[in-house]
Amino acid sequence: MNRRNLYIGVALAILSITACKPSLDEFTPSAGTKADFSKYIAIGNSLSAGFADGGLYLDGQKVAFPLLISEQLQKVGGGEFKSPFFSEEQSNGSGYIRLKALVNGQPVTEQVTDKLAYRSASPKLLTKFTDPINNLGVPGMRMDMAFAPGIGTAAGNMYFERLLPEGTPPTMNYFTYSTSQNHTFFTFSLGNNDVLGYATNGAVNEGPTTTLTSTALFNTLLNNYVTTLTAKGQKGVLATIPDVTSVPYFTTVTRQALLAAVNAASTTKVTDIYIATKMGPRAATDQDFFVLPFSSAGLLGVPNANKIPYGLHPLNPVEDKYVLDTKEAAEVVARVNDFNKSIKSIAASKGLAVADVNAFLTAVKNGIRIDGLSVSAKYITGNGFSLDGIHLTPIGNALMANVFIEAINKTYGAQVPRLNISDYRGVKLP
Amino acid sequence: MKKLLITLLCVSPSLLLAQGSQVNLQSPKSVGMGGAGSAYFIDESSIFYSPGALSKMSHNAVSVNGNGVMFKSAFQATGSSVVDHTKNQITPPFSVFATVGPKNTWWKAGIGIYTPYGGAVDWGTEWTGKYSLVSLSLRAIYIQPTVSVKLTDNFSIGGGFVYNIGSVDLQSAVPVYFQDGSSGLAELKGTGTGTGYNVGVHYNLNEEFAISMSYRSKVVTKLKDGDAKFTVPEAAQGTFPPDSKFSAELPLPSTFAVGVTFPISDKVKMAVDGTVINYDIYKELNFDYSGANTPDTHSPKNYTKAGSIKAGIEYLPSEKLQLRIGGGYIATPVSKDYVYPETPDNNRVLIAGGFTYKMNQKFDLTGSFAYQRILPREANNVDSHLSGTYTTNIYAPGIGLTYKF
Repeated sequence: MNRRNLYIGVALAILSITACKPSLDEFTPSAGTKADFSKYIAIGNSLSAGFADGGLYLDGQKVAFPLLISEQLQKVGGGEFKSPFFSEEQSNGSGYIRLKALVNGQPVTEQVTDKLAYRSASPKLLTKFTDPINNLGVPGMRMDMAFAPGIGTAAGNMYFERLLPEGTPPTMNYFTYSTSQNHTFFTFSLGNNDVLGYATNGAVNEGPTTTLTSTALFNTLLNNYVTTLTAKGQKGVLATIPDVTSVPYFTTVTRQALLAAVNAASTTKVTDIYIATKMGPRAATDQDFFVLPFSSAGLLGVPNANKIPYGLHPLNPVEDKYVLDTKEAAEVVARVNDFNKSIKSIAASKGLAVADVNAFLTAVKNGIRIDGLSVSAKYITGNGFSLDGIHLTPIGNALMANVFIEAINKTYGAQVPRLNISDYRGVKLP
Repeated sequence: MKKLLITLLCVSPSLLLAQGSQVNLQSPKSVGMGGAGSAYFIDESSIFYSPGALSKMSHNAVSVNGNGVMFKSAFQATGSSVVDHTKNQITPPFSVFATVGPKNTWWKAGIGIYTPYGGAVDWGTEWTGKYSLVSLSLRAIYIQPTVSVKLTDNFSIGGGFVYNIGSVDLQSAVPVYFQDGSSGLAELKGTGTGTGYNVGVHYNLNEEFAISMSYRSKVVTKLKDGDAKFTVPEAAQGTFPPDSKFSAELPLPSTFAVGVTFPISDKVKMAVDGTVINYDIYKELNFDYSGANTPDTHSPKNYTKAGSIKAGIEYLPSEKLQLRIGGGYIATPVSKDYVYPETPDNNRVLIAGGFTYKMNQKFDLTGSFAYQRILPREANNVDSHLSGTYTTNIYAPGIGLTYKF
């Protein structure tokens, strides 16, 4: 009797495993007929390269949004997609920051310094990667810089230099490099740094990486670029440029937070933070953006030679480079909008898809929910942005890839499956 | 029997039943007729199905019934080619019914212990909706002492008090990340109790036609001081203290049921049952945590009234054997915008079959098998924005042993 009951139990267990699973087939992947995904290349900057946490490293490269897009394109017959991965031995690439602790909710970060990929410390040069690649994203690349000579040399951008074989003439620019890859499809997302470099430096122009590109120049260069990229009728996606004030780099350190910190350590009540602007020093308002590195710079309240505390008096204001003040922010936002008009108009004239990254990150700023997960632009806990406050987490990259996939499906009549966001992580905590 | 239960428990450590709808697996005889038969079967299971009919029982009996429910769901996120499946597991709803009282008189008493609500679903920690749910085990065990009285030869009434012991065991992923990239996990375990009642009337026109009406009240089950265990990185433990408490309230709805039965021929009997389930009391599911910084969760459910219609026939080829077949349609209480992975419900269709074999004067053996299909439906949850298509197959073999005296 006992043995028979055991048999019944075993039989039920087998039945449980073998009984028909319900099936679903709600989505039929299809490449459509309007675009050819056999050789996809990604042209762009740090976002395309998979830069995160203030550095380019292997784990970030592996979730770069162009790579994620390519994996989905492969489900509709897209071709192989190669990335210039750092080797396992040099997996930390340029080095990056990681979270060491949260002290009273305040992040304490540290620089990762092992397994780096430098072949020269001065000038800083990375181990070369000169095999054919599809992810052409170069951190720091700008629209104006893409047409400039010398950027791929040892005196230029180390991430671009890394990709060029020894003996490449110094005249080789990023435009020529990226448009001579025999592509059939492309994503294009240059232009962020043409405003971001200026904005992250508190709108202080200190050289070619911090100038604000003019709209006229941007429009001309973009037109050249896209005309060349579509010369053989190739299709692609142009990305709009995010509102730089939607990223935690500018929204985390607020006037209120600074005042709270100062007053917590002071017996006399402080009511104003003074900032240097191009019009002279003034008290900061809630419409002025302090950059993220200001919080860790440890300057606020430190007295100078005349014993005037830093940032708390008009005679020792917070330096201009740490603040994107109201007026500067308006200038940057207006320029972003002009660039985006240009991007949309050129895309329309060439029949290309537009990935509206600007609209997407504006939505993230206010918080979105997808796949049961909340993502926002809140620093660290929002899970969308990495520790540098500008570049994306794997979750952010997956969301970004979906914005492109949606644009591809809409414009090219394709059915490329989207990514499931839950497969990706946010900010790693200690 | 003990060994069988142990075996079942080994296969599935959690004891559970079905989802957004009730689990009508209290008696394998009724299950075999697709869930119909509240007016037809006058036996110890009437304690649940038709308390008014109990006093019409001529003898006394004890029955023990068990089921092995296999709940198999699939999910495909909108726009995605990935299909997620729930893990294989068996949940064993059970019931025990016993009657006492003199034979052929005007009253009968009894007790029923059964599991009318519950569910077990385990999607795993790697699926698309893991932040909504990893796994859930819900169980409600109702204990119902019952008395039934014949007012006339044809008309009888009955009623019982219901004491519920409910338990919940829920896991979901928490969007904080360890160094290896894996997400945190919340595990909530709690038990609670609630009370209600079950009343009914039974009327038979002659030996042939009968009607049963019953009303099972709502049972609001309160869970207090449940254990909330958070497995999260150290830096997140300020928000999610590893050992917290939680409280929650789970309203189990009232049901109004009507059943009729009539003969088609000497050897073929038919039963039809309909129910209205007042699930509209289930407005939201809230978990309140003891941790001061832990965000409480409020999930809108906004269930609507639901119902079912079921019909079955019984064929009596010999004195010793009864064969049954039936089917039904169950309207879901879950609206499209409020489908959660713990209740991936939609309208269901049901087919079933079963038999009773009279082994001797004392013992009856009853078997049943029910198959339910929850129809596929694309849902975009307004709260979590987990959007996609769900579908579910449920297989429920059951067995029961009755001892008559």
